[in-house]
Amino acid sequence: MIRLERASLRYGDILGLSPTSFQLPENGGITGLLGPNGAGKSSLIQLLAGLLPPSGGEVTIFGQAPFRNPAVLARIGLVPEGDRFPVGLNGTRWLRMMGELSGLSGSELDTAIQRSLLAVGMETRAQLGFSSMSKGMRQRIRMAQALLHEPDLLILDEPFNGMDPEARLILMDLMRELALAGKRIIVSSHILGEVAQLTERILLLFRGRLLAEGSVPEIRELLDRHPVELRVASEDARQVARWAVEQGELVALRMEDGAAVLAVRNPRDFLPKLQDAIATGQLPLNALDPLDLNLDAVFQYLTKDNA
Amino acid sequence: MSTRALPSPVQTMQAVARGYLPRVFQVRGWVLAAIPVLPVLLSLALTALLRLKGDHIPSGLYLMAFHGVLAKFMLPIMALVAAPAGIREDIEQRTIPLMLARPSTVWMLPFGKGLLWFGWGAIWLVVACAGLLGLGSSPGDFLYQALAMIFAYWAILAFMSLLGLVFKRGTLWGALYLFIWDPLVRIFPGNLQRITFVHYIESIAGTRSSEVAASQLLAQEQISTPVVLAILILFGFGLACWALCGWKLQATAMGLAGSESEG
Repeated sequence: MIRLERASLRYGDILGLSPTSFQLPENGGITGLLGPNGAGKSSLIQLLAGLLPPSGGEVTIFGQAPFRNPAVLARIGLVPEGDRFPVGLNGTRWLRMMGELSGLSGSELDTAIQRSLLAVGMETRAQLGFSSMSKGMRQRIRMAQALLHEPDLLILDEPFNGMDPEARLILMDLMRELALAGKRIIVSSHILGEVAQLTERILLLFRGRLLAEGSVPEIRELLDRHPVELRVASEDARQVARWAVEQGELVALRMEDGAAVLAVRNPRDFLPKLQDAIATGQLPLNALDPLDLNLDAVFQYLTKDNA
Repeated sequence: MSTRALPSPVQTMQAVARGYLPRVFQVRGWVLAAIPVLPVLLSLALTALLRLKGDHIPSGLYLMAFHGVLAKFMLPIMALVAAPAGIREDIEQRTIPLMLARPSTVWMLPFGKGLLWFGWGAIWLVVACAGLLGLGSSPGDFLYQALAMIFAYWAILAFMSLLGLVFKRGTLWGALYLFIWDPLVRIFPGNLQRITFVHYIESIAGTRSSEVAASQLLAQEQISTPVVLAILILFGFGLACWALCGWKLQATAMGLAGSESEG
């Protein structure tokens, strides 16, 4: 169904995506594209959505190259990253145009617009002009345009950016429903938690190359091996340090003014212990700051670790 | 798998023109309408005042308004206002990937959007030419002047749209061509006039006698192109420019950041 064979993408002298190979199966499901900013997620998405041809190698979607190929594009829905919208139009007018550009017309188009707006919860507000909509509403309309022609492959680039928690949950439910209905969904994010709520299958990208491919537990395991730095601010930082050295997860320790900075492996094991110690009064605590729990730090670690 | 028919070139053109129709009724559209109509209205108001005062109205005033104002300044300004609202606008606001990701006829997208702005501008050019009747123009003159304006606008708009697709600063290059080359060509060998829009406007609309200074007549050999040929040349040139716009968009890989790279 989706096959990349040493597909790469260059922007002049800059390598956006190193030669990458993977396959996604024919049946429905959600695949997460995970990586920090600049990892190559958008490059990969542009290849898959047929916006750019590969600089090398081959991209095949439904058995054909997608670039400027209407037969393939008719089966793809794209929600690009960023708050892009046509100035001066309202949601309904724009959806109508996008539907017509997909070959929809007449009552089929009317039904498709109603169905898509209902799916994203915008059925009563699509008449608003784009400039009068909130960022989250515009994102929902962009989602609706991707659903209009009932594509077999839905590609979403950072779809949760700018969405409020309720809208995120609605979108996640919708994606799960579509996946169950046999649609293949590719969703990119730089936040593991978001992707983990949606899928078990992840493609991990870093600095333009596919770093790992696997399930969420496998990725979690990689994360657990990554030492996380915690800054524990306390009236008695030395007591915190004494307690920490007795824990098997401690990798490194340094003292700061009024705080102990602990580098620990397996934070999911360590944090409950810390919580118990605080709750039972063993440790006086003022504040707890995770210093490098962001994905960038994890990717830095993974590349050094050759994981 | 969907068995839906893919949109034809005509359906693509209709979809884009219909979709963007509200744009011509917004600020840019009314500015475009005002560009040719306002000078004519001002001239009409001025002549009405002069008549009331019993002053003499110059007989060739409508020719001066047509050749000296509409053809020389207002028409190029209209094209410079309308062209950036064409497919260039979708590139600037980064909505073009959403259109390119559709199974439509990509090469028809620039024409579909350009046609909308051409149609709207053409209506107001005809209105402006009709206004010249009040300045002394005849119905015969009106017909040729309107034809000259419509076909010249068609050609200039297509040319500006092409420049907008080829160059990032297409409007600037267009302005340089229209406002520097056209006046400059008057001092070069006569046949070079054939590569100006003004020459074809004059060939279709007829004499600009009262607007031509003696120095200009003496400075350059006067050349002329038959009306039908001039119309065909403007129409063909515009068509070729639209075709090149379509080819350019079809052949250019355009990513999520427009024409620029994005990691």
